[in-house]
Amino acid sequence: MNFLFQLTLFVVREFDHCLEPGSARHSNMDENEFSKFHSGVKRGDIVGISGFPGKSQRGQLSIFPRSLVLLSPCLHMLPSEQPSDKKKRTNHSWTPGMARTPQTYILRDQETRYRQRYLDMMVNPGIQQLFKTRAKIISYYRNFLDNLGFIEVETPAMIMTVGGATARPFITYHNELDMNLYMRISPELYLKKLVIGGLDRVYEIGKVFRNEGMDLTHLPEFTMCEFYMAYADYNDLMDLIEKLLSGMVKELTGSYKIKYHGNGFDSEPIEIDFTPPFRRMDMIEELESRANLSIPKDLSSETANRYLLEACERFEVKCAPPHTTSRLLDKLVGHFLEETCINPTFIMNHPEIMSPLAKEHRSRPGLTERFELFVNKAELCNSYTELNDPEIQRQRFADQLKDRESGDDEAMVLDESYCTALEYGLPPTAGLGMGIDRLAMLLTDSPNAKEVILFPAMRPQESRLD
Amino acid sequence: MEGLRMWRLSSSIPRPLSLRQLFGLRSSSALVVRCSAGDAAAATTTNTRQPSRNRRASTSTATNTSISDREAIRAIRLKKVEELRSKGLEPYAYKWDRSHSAKELQEIYKDLNNGEELDGENHRVSIAGRIVARRAFGKLAFLSLRDTSGTIQLYCEKERLSNDQFEQLKTLVDIGDILGASGSIKRTEKGELSVKVDSFAILTKSLLPLPDKYHGLTDIDKRYRQRYVDMIANPEVADIFQKRAKIVREIRNAVESQGFIEVETPVLQGAAGGAEARPFVTYHNSLGRDLYLRIATELHLKRMLVGGFEKVYEVGRIFRNEGISTRHNPEFTTIEMYEAYSDYQSMMDMAEEIVTRCALAVHGGLTINYQGVEIHLERPWRRETMHNLVKESTGIDFTEFENDLKGAKDTIMKAIGVELDGKDKSSIEACPSIGNLLNEVFEIFVEPKLLQPTFVLDYPMEISPLAKPHRRHAGLTERFELFICGRELANAFSELTDPLDQRARLEEQVRQHNKKRAEAISGTDTAEGKSNKDEDSMYEVTLDDDFLTALEYGMPPASGMGLGIDRLVMLLTDSASIRDVIAFPVLKAQS
Repeated sequence: MNFLFQLTLFVVREFDHCLEPGSARHSNMDENEFSKFHSGVKRGDIVGISGFPGKSQRGQLSIFPRSLVLLSPCLHMLPSEQPSDKKKRTNHSWTPGMARTPQTYILRDQETRYRQRYLDMMVNPGIQQLFKTRAKIISYYRNFLDNLGFIEVETPAMIMTVGGATARPFITYHNELDMNLYMRISPELYLKKLVIGGLDRVYEIGKVFRNEGMDLTHLPEFTMCEFYMAYADYNDLMDLIEKLLSGMVKELTGSYKIKYHGNGFDSEPIEIDFTPPFRRMDMIEELESRANLSIPKDLSSETANRYLLEACERFEVKCAPPHTTSRLLDKLVGHFLEETCINPTFIMNHPEIMSPLAKEHRSRPGLTERFELFVNKAELCNSYTELNDPEIQRQRFADQLKDRESGDDEAMVLDESYCTALEYGLPPTAGLGMGIDRLAMLLTDSPNAKEVILFPAMRPQESRLD
Repeated sequence: MEGLRMWRLSSSIPRPLSLRQLFGLRSSSALVVRCSAGDAAAATTTNTRQPSRNRRASTSTATNTSISDREAIRAIRLKKVEELRSKGLEPYAYKWDRSHSAKELQEIYKDLNNGEELDGENHRVSIAGRIVARRAFGKLAFLSLRDTSGTIQLYCEKERLSNDQFEQLKTLVDIGDILGASGSIKRTEKGELSVKVDSFAILTKSLLPLPDKYHGLTDIDKRYRQRYVDMIANPEVADIFQKRAKIVREIRNAVESQGFIEVETPVLQGAAGGAEARPFVTYHNSLGRDLYLRIATELHLKRMLVGGFEKVYEVGRIFRNEGISTRHNPEFTTIEMYEAYSDYQSMMDMAEEIVTRCALAVHGGLTINYQGVEIHLERPWRRETMHNLVKESTGIDFTEFENDLKGAKDTIMKAIGVELDGKDKSSIEACPSIGNLLNEVFEIFVEPKLLQPTFVLDYPMEISPLAKPHRRHAGLTERFELFICGRELANAFSELTDPLDQRARLEEQVRQHNKKRAEAISGTDTAEGKSNKDEDSMYEVTLDDDFLTALEYGMPPASGMGLGIDRLVMLLTDSASIRDVIAFPVLKAQS
């Protein structure tokens, strides 16, 4: 009976509750039929059973089979549990918001887990639950926006001009049109065109692509949700996203607080608290007070640039050239502010030079109405009151060009078709972009983005042999 | 108010007008509203247009705004931007608090009588949107304001507005500007529900003039390139995208109510499989390798079934490096779904469920009109085998041919050869098997006639490399395609789960493809003018070995279906071209 018990591993999974197929003695199959069947069935096979439910002598809910049919055989050996693993294994099953324990998985080799995700899902507990959680996150997000009257739209993934963010794009070639196309790095400019076209509240949940190096939080394709809300500003969106995220965490995990292995699986998990309201910090003020700086007000000046360069050197904050003011500030903010943002924190009012698409602050010259939401030191959302003055937008693109010329290839390129669109009139609008993968990572205790992506991009296997 | 009502009338037609209908309107006596009095007066030096606001559309005046005209208007409006700033007003405002949308007001006050006014505190409203029409008389001005939901009139009396707001309204506000307004509710004597304005603010000053109502439409290229202008000029275009959102939501509701879970599979892949199509290729710098853009989601979704998910789906973008037409855009959206322990019969029910739910959501009924054809979506839909449909249309019974390909071709030529043009004849001649031949005859004779929803069942094995062999008929598969209006809308099968059979079939597919490719290459060496058909097979097809390995771990019996969302939206919004339902379709580079 031993192997039959193992077979339950799969039958069980099919029904998602604990069912044992029971034994022949209790079934209506005769001994012969039964032994013929079970000698042909191996662990991993998918079988169909019909019978009636009951309790075994050990009190286990079981199905007493009338008939068993082999539906799909498994042609490979499945990874199996080592006796030593059994001790480590915790009894309770994983639910969103809880810490995970991948070190107790039956299949632990990361390469195999990601390359053969189906094996990972078959043998490791909680993996299916993890991807169901991801689906729930997206569906919560969608419902939240739908209930506010947002409509979901689809903008092109293959485009002729890259814009809306700063990143190296993928290039492909369309044969019939005989032209190069880029994969989008952000849907922002298209979504704002739709707001200009009269759709006051739009969102898109979709893939964006960046042809960059891969690490724990960066993959070549990832899922982004961007939404745009006419007649609202960034203050409205801070309230909105606070409500959305805290509500989502509460609904999915039952609490505002989640466990997360922010310092790796070798350390104890930390707690992240999504209880609203989230902390808000003014970028420049907070930086000045924490680092005891007095940054020149005119950030586009040479003086400011020299001041910040000197500050970086003094605090040993590394910044690879080019030393544009924007990049120096970014590094200092990363060092002094982002590092302190474990619980959700809004860093707000970024300087104009860092935010080419954000509207200038209504009362503080040189700054913009922008915020980023940081959780566990990583950026989760980026949002602003949208710059809708076409003349200023053109000027900002021109300033970006200067940064580009000084060697910053992350500076944004002018998109004339977008500026023309602005001339038809973009209503006052606030927009927000959020990385779905990063959110899924937080709620599933996954410090590695590949954990929450079903089939992450991997190096070609041959290269491992080199 | 004639002109204003005309605009409203056209924006409240429930179903979007087809291009053909709109062209029809153009030649009729429809009135054109182009109330840019300030602009027109200022630009009269270069303008032959009559300054009158309501004029007849006729070809003699049907010129688009010329470039110099546009520049003149832009310069004037830039001056207005300065003027606003000099008055301490922000021409690009930060926000506006709306209490209602236009449609909400139309709903709430639908019973208000003509001439009636509601001035109490409870009836103070605040709205925002784009000004799409304007008329001013002495101390009274009417503006038509449109938001996402619809249109409402602004009733502006000089006495009621504070300070010099009425002057501003006349001199600084142009059609195309975004305005916020607050006031009370009034229905005019002529029956127009209006907001009687106490105060307003220019929220965004527009710099460029909107195309005039009808002529803006004739430039089809511009419609797609500047979709937002198309949407502003034609509310029914914006309406298509709202309906599209509704359809996609309804599809999700339909499958999720049956327990399907949405997943996301990769767009960038090491091998593009799951369909026969030329993929886009790109290069990943850091991985140092070529990647393909997916041509289907099938092979990854099936891996999910191997992993233990029983009902999965994905709504996602698919990319095919192929020609552009009214039915084809290089990127398009499909839903693919897979259900363990079911067969293709179950997917037929699902297809009926999805399409009827979407039709009800968009139309409220199951009889719809597509390009002049009445389509009846009441269930159940006709289910008929490909063999029977071909027999019904042509009188040819393919079951009689056994494997006699030559005999079959002769019989076909004799029976229906006269109805075939040269191209059809040569594609029939080129068919390498009975199965291909059956499909070819089906595509030529049957497909265009399948206007009412029809499930075509049991496709030949040769053209169905991922479908399970039919449980009763050798050489056929348990596969169906759904046709409506002569177009394939969905494709489904009982999934092939036997890893050895699957490997053999995919290897055969690769072999066939490489053969065609080799022929095409040698063909280009000899012949000068290579045909498109040859070029179609000039790409590489790779075997997705990982998928075959996954199958070896055991995939439960399952059925799956792919459904083209763009085509469904076309059907339900009566759109003739796929470009009408994709916000920003791929276009040729502008010369």
